[in-house]
Amino acid sequence: MAGRTWMTLPAAALVVAGATMLVTAAGATESSSMVVTGRVTFTGSAPAPEPIDMSADGYCVDQHTTPVMDASVRIDDSGGLAGVLVYVSNAPSGAGPAAGDETLLDQVGCIYTPGAVAVRVGQTLVVRNSDQTLHNVRVTPTLNRGFNLGQPMRGIESRRSFDQPEVGIPVRCDIHGWMHATLHVIDHGFHTITGPDGSFELPDLPAGDWVVEAWHPTLGTVSSQIAGGGAAAIELEFGG
Amino acid sequence: MRRSTRGTVTATCVGFLLIVPAALAAQSGAELYDLGCASCHGADGAGATSDAFAFDDPLPDFTDCSFASREPDGDWVIVAKAGGPIRGFSESMPAYGEAFSDEQLESILAHIRTFCTNHAWPRGELNLPRPLVTEKAYPEDELVWETRVNTDGLGAVVNQFVYEKRFGPRGQLEVTVPFGFADQPAPMPVNGASAEGGAWEGGLGDVAVGWKHAVWHNDASIFSLTGEVLLPTAGSDSRLGNGVFAVEPFATFGQVLPADAFAHFQAGTEIPLDTDDGRVHTEWFWRAVLGKTWTSGEFGRAWSPMVELLGAHEVEDGAGVDWDLVPQIQITLNARQHIMLNLGVQLPLNDTDERPTRFMFYFLWDWFDGGLFDGW
Repeated sequence: MAGRTWMTLPAAALVVAGATMLVTAAGATESSSMVVTGRVTFTGSAPAPEPIDMSADGYCVDQHTTPVMDASVRIDDSGGLAGVLVYVSNAPSGAGPAAGDETLLDQVGCIYTPGAVAVRVGQTLVVRNSDQTLHNVRVTPTLNRGFNLGQPMRGIESRRSFDQPEVGIPVRCDIHGWMHATLHVIDHGFHTITGPDGSFELPDLPAGDWVVEAWHPTLGTVSSQIAGGGAAAIELEFGG
Repeated sequence: MRRSTRGTVTATCVGFLLIVPAALAAQSGAELYDLGCASCHGADGAGATSDAFAFDDPLPDFTDCSFASREPDGDWVIVAKAGGPIRGFSESMPAYGEAFSDEQLESILAHIRTFCTNHAWPRGELNLPRPLVTEKAYPEDELVWETRVNTDGLGAVVNQFVYEKRFGPRGQLEVTVPFGFADQPAPMPVNGASAEGGAWEGGLGDVAVGWKHAVWHNDASIFSLTGEVLLPTAGSDSRLGNGVFAVEPFATFGQVLPADAFAHFQAGTEIPLDTDDGRVHTEWFWRAVLGKTWTSGEFGRAWSPMVELLGAHEVEDGAGVDWDLVPQIQITLNARQHIMLNLGVQLPLNDTDERPTRFMFYFLWDWFDGGLFDGW
């Protein structure tokens, strides 16, 4: 396919530790476009979530009535894996549905919300502090320019855009060391973040041969090749 | 770091836009410090500790006047506005330029300045760019390598290492070790025969040890007195020094001028203690410097062109005053601005047939601000 652009991944993301791939393409028919739906799952023993110690900042403690769990691998009862980037890794630059104006990364109760966020190249990322306490937002990309912003009180918003595709950019708060998020910059529209049950949908994908890849900050990557048009349902499975 | 001009914040990414709550607008410097700084730097400025911190870099102690007094307000504001890396400091120091206005950052700094309660420490604004010849009034922690090369007349390449160590708010020890090579004068022709050309000889100049004391300062001016002892390490026939014990008392004055301009003045005398052979005479000298600092970009390299006027008079019959002009430019080499270069030329204004033109430079390392390879 002419004009394909390969995503460049951080080295850590290339480590596929114990990952397996399960592909179930169904109902694929010849058509000018296709919808890829599916689910990212995790099998095996996930690390047990640990309660976050927020006692360093009383404000953060006061925002929660129950302990907040640090779930680096967030799995629902049926094995669905949340917060995973799913994208077509061989889609051409600029292809796909138009991006919205802005994508929000919020800080609520001293937790990044959502924990994973994807923007298109050039799209605006809004970083908001919804807490009445100081956060710094330290973004450390490899290909794009990083930044470290102090956001000292509720309501402050900063806006940034990125000019290079890059998967797995760490976002953290140095003051509250438990606060982590992951930012992805994709140069086309065929990407999404899985929901709480691990499900995802990639609509309006042109008929063709595509590689759908799932990326998780600690589990690595799994991918699946799809072909044709119409509809495809795939399951991308990480193993423990 | 050196004094620097102020600028406005730059975007570090492709684009940005900021929304700041109006509630920040009317708060005092102390209140803004509590909001934006105290979590890490501590309510008392001494640095906070927390198991939750995700960084290991040691936090500065704002109550330590030796640290807190040295840098000018402009550099503090630049770091607070654009983050630590803008001056080669920790990447853990975030940028507040989108959260606080310039006026708010200045009010926060005014509060930080209250943490150092000993006002005997001269403020960093008085640490003016160092000229090639004239001594500064501000006490420093520096290592300077200076070189002067004669471009005409008898050849000479004279270097000196200058080590400066500050003691307390006002004192400074200074040790100067000159060394180099000089072309010796050819012997006079004998009985009409041609003289052989002079030979280059190398060696040590007169080592000097001095003590500077910053006697007085206010927000824009500083006055110091210095006494030096010169040791006869050069040898009596060397062109690298006089080779006699001597003392050199002098006074220095630094003045901050509007628009990032500055001036230095120095006056003193060098008194040889052994004058039996009549070879070395007491010398009076006076020096004046005028300069101005420009910053390239908004937070970038500092360029400080200066011009020195030098006057010297040896106390002996028939001796006049030697006048020299030294145009030069000092350039900060790294982001932290503690490594500097100065290039200039010493131009005799009178007796130009007898006194050489000299190319001069120094390489300066303000070692209190960090290692030689830090902050680039």
